[in-house]
Amino acid sequence: MSGPNQVIRLMSSDSVEIPVERVVAERSILIKNMLEDIGDSALTDPIPIPNVNEAVLRKVLDWCTHHKGDPPASVDDDSDSRKKTTDIEEWDQKFMQVDQEMLFEIILAANYLDIKALLDVGCKTVANMIKGKSPEEIRRTFNIQNDFTPEEEDQIRRENEWAEE
Amino acid sequence: LAEILNLCDSQQLSFVHDFVSPRLKKDPFKTLPNELCLRVLTFIDDPRTLARSSQVSKRWHELLSDDMTWKNLCDRHSYRRLSASSSGRNSVAIDRLPSIIPRTCPYTLPAPPSDTSSRLYDQYFPGPSTSAPNLSLRSFDATADSASPQRRKAISYKSHFKQRYMVETAWRHGGRVKGRHIKPDQGVVTSLHLTPKYIVVALDNAKIHVFDTEGDNQKTLQGHIMGVWAMIPQGDILVSGGCDRDVRVWNMATGESVHTLRGHTSTVRCLKMSDADTAISGSRDTTLRIWDIKAGICKNVLVGHQASVRCLEIKGDIAVSGSYDTTARVWSISEGRCLRTLTGHFSQIYAIAFDGTRVATGSLDTSVRIWDPNTGQCHATLQGHTSLVGQVQMRGDILVTGGSDGSVRVWSLNKMTPIHRLAAHDNSVTSLQFDDTRVVSGGSDGRVKVWDLETGHLVRELSTPADAVWRVAFEEEKAVIMASRASRTIMEVWSFSPPEEALV
Repeated sequence: MSGPNQVIRLMSSDSVEIPVERVVAERSILIKNMLEDIGDSALTDPIPIPNVNEAVLRKVLDWCTHHKGDPPASVDDDSDSRKKTTDIEEWDQKFMQVDQEMLFEIILAANYLDIKALLDVGCKTVANMIKGKSPEEIRRTFNIQNDFTPEEEDQIRRENEWAEE
Repeated sequence: LAEILNLCDSQQLSFVHDFVSPRLKKDPFKTLPNELCLRVLTFIDDPRTLARSSQVSKRWHELLSDDMTWKNLCDRHSYRRLSASSSGRNSVAIDRLPSIIPRTCPYTLPAPPSDTSSRLYDQYFPGPSTSAPNLSLRSFDATADSASPQRRKAISYKSHFKQRYMVETAWRHGGRVKGRHIKPDQGVVTSLHLTPKYIVVALDNAKIHVFDTEGDNQKTLQGHIMGVWAMIPQGDILVSGGCDRDVRVWNMATGESVHTLRGHTSTVRCLKMSDADTAISGSRDTTLRIWDIKAGICKNVLVGHQASVRCLEIKGDIAVSGSYDTTARVWSISEGRCLRTLTGHFSQIYAIAFDGTRVATGSLDTSVRIWDPNTGQCHATLQGHTSLVGQVQMRGDILVTGGSDGSVRVWSLNKMTPIHRLAAHDNSVTSLQFDDTRVVSGGSDGRVKVWDLETGHLVRELSTPADAVWRVAFEEEKAVIMASRASRTIMEVWSFSPPEEALV
């Protein structure tokens, strides 16, 4: 039977099959479109997700499960949801408490799978890690090498002094 | 591994932590493709954070040079208008002009973006999966030609943002002020206008002074023999009137008197232009007169008011006038007749605003009324002031009023309700102006205050308190204060423009 509670199978890049409710998987516009395109054969063969490994895919599906009832984002939702930039709901904040590697993997997967709300939560999480920090604090946060020469650094600092008033 | 860690003491664990934690950290901007990095940056609306981020590394600096980020920030901060147009500005909008000059013009820049940024743009926002469409650079080229060649040009959103940000910062707690002593000292300043070319000041001692926009190169227009109470500039032309009953037309570039228009039998109290050739005056003789200022003739006399005509506003072919007879009248300029009389106030009308669809009147009866000029109906009576309402300005759905009770009130014309009640001055509000972001008020308590339109918070006081503030007018990067200080008549010109060298 086909329907929202129908279970489909996804195949991660490392060849692990993950069963998931269709309504959950369809949070991904990519998967939703694929299911529409391939029709009933989705029942028999697992859908390959070649860009996402098992750990990340499970994490993403966790998010989709929690958010499966969310109303679909409207087209002009974009501008509104971006105004309050620090707003991340509590469950999502906890969900994003992962190491940086995983966080970036989730962002990449959300982008690939076309799950806009998750992509935004991920990007906001990174943005919040940057906000209010000095250049040195940002470098420490992400273990970034300062590759400016002292002259370049001085020059760029002067270019940006206007924002420090 | 867990067992090994269990055996460690805290010093060893600390070592492990220091050893491990950098490995768990990763530069997001090296991990993610440009398109996603820029998406992250769209969630940062604090320019300081962005400026600091550009100092992190070469990669971050490169990303932060992308103009879309700054365009975004421009949008977020509503820095929609171009500052290049602020030098060659064509909006004459000072001192309650046809109040609505919509600021909805799309964000424009005088020059196309540099090759790099447009290339970056294409490369970063290629597909339907991004939110690119609403970020498109729609009006870049459309306005490239019309942009003013004067002064600085913003060549990128970043430099535009920087400039606007510096102007805003200067408004909050900076700016340079230049004072000028206007002689003789006993003159009361009755009128002040800022135009793209001039600062014009009229006094009750029959003098009109014309300065350049910096407040220098004073010219004095002499001809009136009694106090000047009303004036209106248009390009190089100035029309003025006062106690001597004459309406005079001047050329401000040369300082010469072009016409002396006679007809009123009492003090000229208000003046507005309806087009480049037509001025309308309102007088204590109860009439309004329509003048052809090119030919120097009176085209029509509008009769109907029973007492002094105190205030006047024009939109298109419609003039509205407020009178001490407690009514406002709606006139057709071309037909030279009264279309409607707005009755309801219990006392003299002192101030009027008109945007084409709504009329707002402020009265000695302490109320403000909103009228439909087409039906003559009173839509709302806004109560709150406890004394004469002498200042009224309308802009979009916002109305700001000032009264002799010292308060400034911000009203919603959608809901006809108060938004802010500002305890602005200890005494009368003598001057009031607002734009998209701020309200500037001057009071007979000698203070000039800048308010945040949205929050209603006091942003700052401009200058130190004077004896009295006669008039205040401002535009985007400038404010002019006419005040009395230690019994001297002073003009203060405030500039909030960033220094040229800061914008390179």
